Amino acid sequence: MSEALPIARSPLRAAGPVETRSGWEVSALRSDAALRLADRTPMAKVLVRAPGGGQVAARLGVTNGSARRDEHGTLIVGSGPGDWLLLGAPGCAAELAARVEVEDDGLVSVLDYTHGRALMRLTGPAAAQTLAKLCPIDLSDRHTPDHTAFRSSVAQVATDVVRDDVDGTASYLLHCERSSGQHLFDALYDAGGEFGIEPDGFAEP
Amino acid sequence: MFQIPCPHCGLRNVAEFRHAGEQRRRPDPQTATPEEWRTYLYTQANDAGWTRETWYHRFGCRRFVGVQRHTVTNEVRPADTGPAPSVASPPAGIDAGAPDAGGGAM
Repeated sequence: MSEALPIARSPLRAAGPVETRSGWEVSALRSDAALRLADRTPMAKVLVRAPGGGQVAARLGVTNGSARRDEHGTLIVGSGPGDWLLLGAPGCAAELAARVEVEDDGLVSVLDYTHGRALMRLTGPAAAQTLAKLCPIDLSDRHTPDHTAFRSSVAQVATDVVRDDVDGTASYLLHCERSSGQHLFDALYDAGGEFGIEPDGFAEP
Repeated sequence: MFQIPCPHCGLRNVAEFRHAGEQRRRPDPQTATPEEWRTYLYTQANDAGWTRETWYHRFGCRRFVGVQRHTVTNEVRPADTGPAPSVASPPAGIDAGAPDAGGGAM
């Protein structure tokens, strides 16, 4: 008799049927609605703290307020002064952390926050209008273009927001403390009601 | 409602910040008496006009930010612009130490 592997669960209630992906229980729902909200909590999340002008900062290559994808497909987010968030495929947190070379750069910390944070993706032409109901940031293309990152209050939750458009459609990743995840998901879902929002299942990225 | 210029995040809504108090001169911890610490921690100047204050950007960069604020109009400007008001002085008889980033309980 084989030993059952432990299953990780997101703090967000899975919508519809569930399946197991990379050791996580995720929603298998598929939606083609114009505005979709999806749980992305299983994505690997690694927080890096390092001196702003050091070698780690130079290698990561993004400053506070911006984001980019590296050659491995990892989304590197400048989430604060001296703070970076690395988002990668489920199960690759150790690999992400190992890739951050910390030698000779003073006080550097690299922490796997995958199970301590919630992550969701809001996608659709009305994503900015939905988010604007809950967040006091100007979300116009002029002020918040693709690959912009900021931390602000979203539904009264301190949230890292990353604009990461998908195939030319506006899309935002929202990253917050695990215990606030369901509240943030529900608030976004309520805000998107008038735009026909639907829950979507797990997919990468 | 007004906005506060954060040096790390830009102009942000005041609701993202927590007021950390007037900037005051901290007495020397080696020589201060309990009365001096009590005055430093709990007594505010409460000037009507421009003051130097510290705000904590709790929903943003999570750093303490120094600004000048007009307490009557809520006009805010960065700490290093305009005619700078003096850091609030402690009541007479208290040794003035180095300026502190903020006061009061966190």
